[in-house]
Amino acid sequence: MRRAFVLTLAVLLLLPLTASPTFAHGLGVSYDLPLPLWLYLYGAGATVLVSFAPISLLGGGRRAGGEAAYRYPRFDLLRIGPLRVVLTSKALLLGLRLLSVGLFSLVLLSGFFGRQVPASNFAPTFVWVVWWVGFGFFVAFVGNLWPLVNPWKVLFEWTEALVRRLRLGDGLELRETYPAALGVWPAVALYAVFVWVENVFWGSPTPLYIAVLALNYSVLTWGGMTVYGKEVWLRRGEVFSVFFGLLARFAPTEARVEDRRLCRACSDGCGAAQGDCVNCYECFDKAAPEDRELNLRPWAVGLARAEPVPPGGVFFVILVLAGVAFDGLMETPLWSELRRATSMPPTLGLVLLPPLFFAAYLSFVKLSQLFGGGKGRLRLASLADVYVYSLVPIAIAYQVAHYYTLLLVQGQEVVHHLSDPFGWGWDLFGTARYEVNPGLVGAAFVWYSQVALIVVGHVLAVYLAHLGALRLFGDRRKALRSQLPMLALMVLYTISSLWILSQPIIVEEEAVPTENAQPDPTLREPPMPDVG
Amino acid sequence: MFEQSRLAEGAGKSLVNRTLMMVALVMIGLVGLFFALRPGTTTSGTATPADEPQERAYDVAIENGAMSPVEVSVEEGDQVTLRLTSGSPLEVHLHGYDLEEEVLPGEETVLSFEAEISGRFEIEDHETETALGALLVQPR
Repeated sequence: MRRAFVLTLAVLLLLPLTASPTFAHGLGVSYDLPLPLWLYLYGAGATVLVSFAPISLLGGGRRAGGEAAYRYPRFDLLRIGPLRVVLTSKALLLGLRLLSVGLFSLVLLSGFFGRQVPASNFAPTFVWVVWWVGFGFFVAFVGNLWPLVNPWKVLFEWTEALVRRLRLGDGLELRETYPAALGVWPAVALYAVFVWVENVFWGSPTPLYIAVLALNYSVLTWGGMTVYGKEVWLRRGEVFSVFFGLLARFAPTEARVEDRRLCRACSDGCGAAQGDCVNCYECFDKAAPEDRELNLRPWAVGLARAEPVPPGGVFFVILVLAGVAFDGLMETPLWSELRRATSMPPTLGLVLLPPLFFAAYLSFVKLSQLFGGGKGRLRLASLADVYVYSLVPIAIAYQVAHYYTLLLVQGQEVVHHLSDPFGWGWDLFGTARYEVNPGLVGAAFVWYSQVALIVVGHVLAVYLAHLGALRLFGDRRKALRSQLPMLALMVLYTISSLWILSQPIIVEEEAVPTENAQPDPTLREPPMPDVG
Repeated sequence: MFEQSRLAEGAGKSLVNRTLMMVALVMIGLVGLFFALRPGTTTSGTATPADEPQERAYDVAIENGAMSPVEVSVEEGDQVTLRLTSGSPLEVHLHGYDLEEEVLPGEETVLSFEAEISGRFEIEDHETETALGALLVQPR
């Protein structure tokens, strides 16, 4: 772990820490109008109103609760012959991996050698809009492709295969014992750095900084995989695997292994807890083809599975929630006033917000424990574990509401970047002159869809938390009582999401540091011949 | 045995009924709330003159990297004219509509366009890529 810390430190030191507050946002500019007041009020009212639906669904009835295994409808896609051929095709997998490694290399190359103007370079739009926002949506709404295409994992595997072929040794892993108590805390730290880079760091749209950060992160990731083993690091320290893994719990697909012995032998002990093994990619890799299932399932049900939360797991979810909120909060008049009054640097806001969210979460969980009357029997920590995944739909709903128009509009930029990734005037595919169509969705549609998304996310969250309570308390009455504080917490979160979307967007007036506006002239125009 | 399964069936049915009723009630509530809160729109057919697209002109002064007024709000379909002045020379870029115009000190630069896309569009200094202000086009 010491090495990982040293490397993290190196990442930070390579960044100019003189980040100054600007409006330069990693993700470009959204064209969304703030929600009108009446629609904000409607959203708030609807949030409270729909909260009763899950309670009436789960509060009554004859549901046994208790420790009974959690079931949900699922359908194995691999049972359909032609689909099985496609989904298990080696050629398709290799194609996806080559594409992923190719895009990763292109980000590095265009970052280091391309024109240092965000709008004319492939790296910023691809990394912030297409991958971070777009791929995240894909994982949440379709399924987790990341374990298949993760370029760091793929390159590590290819290197290992090469080492074995050249008979230089048996792989690269040193397999030091990973301290169990460390849990996903390395991923928490890295996610915090990532959110800072995305929202605060003025250089986030600058291609060169994206490439430098990606390279540093690669060294850190490969270091972690070498020291602790690939699978362990992917589960605990590779922040994007942890993040996409969280979104994948919401996804309507799951990778399941029906081989108990294999799962019990897994380095994560994944199958031991619930007797089945879902989305453990290590087991899925190792399992015999006939033991693998690729299931279709309803959205969000994966969040209610009773799986042990690793140390730091609760904080990770809260950090994700606080991170997406911070992003929107930074553009509100409240934030602007706060900064004017206290001259607080944005970084401090980012440092304070997650602990604040965490404290709020724990307080409401404590109330839930008291209301449920399970004090003697139920530990606070186990309650906090059970409820935490139910917050994920709220985070996803806000993220989608906040960013889907950005993906639709700014994402189009990638069409012309693909023809001219370095900004050197190329036209590889004849799309370099592609003009972005900014009017794909009207502002009124955006408003209604934002409110709908946030209200639906809220219902799911309330439903999931209630399911968790039923399982834990094993008694309908206690579970129902325990849910009153959780309901209050979720209404609070949801209404703050709506509130942020309803706030006028503040244009920060500070100037961008000169480095950003005028990059080093030696970097600006590499002496390369124009093609096409 | 038979009685028991009948009982369970009955309970299941009442649960389904309860659920359906609850969902229906919530839906009615949602729709009712929507129409209660939605601002009064003109009844079909007779649009008041205020609802028709209009011609709107604004004088916008750019000082120290910010527009005054900092936001210009119009409605979808309006014919908009922005008369820009600036103390220092700069190139102004209106996002979305993708209009670019040079503004020189002592001269008035006119940006004229039909506001056909709704949304919030930043107006930036093209050189530094910092926002000077924004155009808000409210949907009709």
